[in-house]
Amino acid sequence: MGFELNRFQGDVDEELICPICSGVLEDPLQAPTCEHAFCKSCITEWISRQPTCPVDRQNVTSAQLRQVPRILRNLLSRLCIHCDNAPYGCTRVLKLDSLQNHLEECEFNPKRPLPCEQGCGLIIPKDELKDHNCVKELRSLIHTQQQKIDDFHKDLAEQRFVINEQKREMQLLKEFIRAIRISNPSMRAIADAMERDEVLRWSNTLQRARVNRWGGMISTPDEVLQRMIRRTLTEIGCPPHILDDLMENCHERRWPPGLCSLETRQNNRRQYENYVCKRVPGKQAVVVLACDNTHMGEDMMVEPGLVMIFAHGIE
Amino acid sequence: MANIAAQRIKREFKEVIKSEEVAKCAIRVELLNDTFTELKGEIAGPPDTPYEGGTFVLEIKVPETYPFNPPKVRFVTKIWHPNISSVTGAICLDILKDQWAAAMTLRTVLLSLQALLSAAEPDDPQDAVVAKQYKENNEMFQITARHWTNVYAGGPNINKDCDDKIRRLADMGIEEHQARVALSSYDWELERATEQLFS
Ligand SMILES: [Zn+2]
Ligand SMILES: [Zn+2]
Ligand SMILES: [Zn+2]
Ligand SMILES: [Zn+2]
Repeated sequence: MGFELNRFQGDVDEELICPICSGVLEDPLQAPTCEHAFCKSCITEWISRQPTCPVDRQNVTSAQLRQVPRILRNLLSRLCIHCDNAPYGCTRVLKLDSLQNHLEECEFNPKRPLPCEQGCGLIIPKDELKDHNCVKELRSLIHTQQQKIDDFHKDLAEQRFVINEQKREMQLLKEFIRAIRISNPSMRAIADAMERDEVLRWSNTLQRARVNRWGGMISTPDEVLQRMIRRTLTEIGCPPHILDDLMENCHERRWPPGLCSLETRQNNRRQYENYVCKRVPGKQAVVVLACDNTHMGEDMMVEPGLVMIFAHGIE
Repeated sequence: MANIAAQRIKREFKEVIKSEEVAKCAIRVELLNDTFTELKGEIAGPPDTPYEGGTFVLEIKVPETYPFNPPKVRFVTKIWHPNISSVTGAICLDILKDQWAAAMTLRTVLLSLQALLSAAEPDDPQDAVVAKQYKENNEMFQITARHWTNVYAGGPNINKDCDDKIRRLADMGIEEHQARVALSSYDWELERATEQLFS
């Protein structure tokens, strides 16, 4: 819909008036042959009812509508119009083409968003400020958030249920596979080979680690440290069938004879450099896998490998 | 009411008031409420027609969707015309239906109605009885239309013969307008009109 005529300073040429809304053309388009011009919204509305020119009833479709000539657009942009918010006290008179910019920052706009100054922190349209009640608004905010939290809780319970269900099924599946493995030797061979391959594949995804200070090795890491490393191993895709054993083998009580006491460790220090160690990202720890370390002697390695946690010195 | 309709009617109202037709007393329009939804129109009967000298009042209702839909217009003044119902005042005119165009105004509507009074379209009738008379007994049609203009629209041409016949029926207890309709419908033959009224 066009601009109301009485908002303009001085006379407006009849050519700049939309024959549909009788306002000054807003965003004008013209019919192809007769060149009658209309506001975009006005002519779109009319053509949606019947595809004719509203002045002379020639056939026109919306695809045939086109831009009005530059001269007409220039005439329009030079018209001087009172701000939309004149009824609210704005006295600005602007060229039509700068009206939009002004409206975006006009301080008389009754809908201009303002922060509440009584401390609730909400942003409110200016004209609603006088009826604004912080407590009431915040209450309704709390109410909707409470509803959201309730919904999340319901979701969470539902997810937990699904996860438990899946865990149970997985457990069943594992037991089933174990049973097949025990009862069928060729199956056992296949499964073992698959597991070995999986460990190899995982090992290849890990980066080589360099241990600068073997003396920083913690031979009796506590529960907290162990849980942290276990978590990281899970995150970087450690095959589940070796995870428990690997983590058991992070403590000297499960280490091979060549490592299991301070005395043997001191005796075998020279051999440490031969270990192929893999990084545990972001942690001062390395994974030493049996498959990477077949060159090490039996008293320096255990299946499926071991974890060494350090106080410092890992790169 | 939608903003656009009010803006249009405001402007058109001024347009009619300023128009040269008003200066010639041919058309007039008056606002009935300040929401611009109801207006009263008036058109003068065109010269050299049976409506000459009469003033015809129109009821104009502006729909919410104006000007995308035409105004609803009806004759309040009773009129004898093939395209206007002698009972309800409903009008059969294309521009008030599917030939409406959004750029048309109250002024063009009133002028089109005036043109309709000058040139009836008996093949697209609103009132079948009137249309039949118009085609088959045009002389009688002229007399009837002129008589109705005199009685209802303040036209100058008194028809003594018609008035007498109506008085005869009125004496029999028939209401005047009912009597006029019956006589008009039967080409002013008193006997047939009476027969129809008492059957
Ligand atoms: Zn056109
Ligand atoms: Zn428009
Ligand atoms: Zn402003
Ligand atoms: Zn507040």
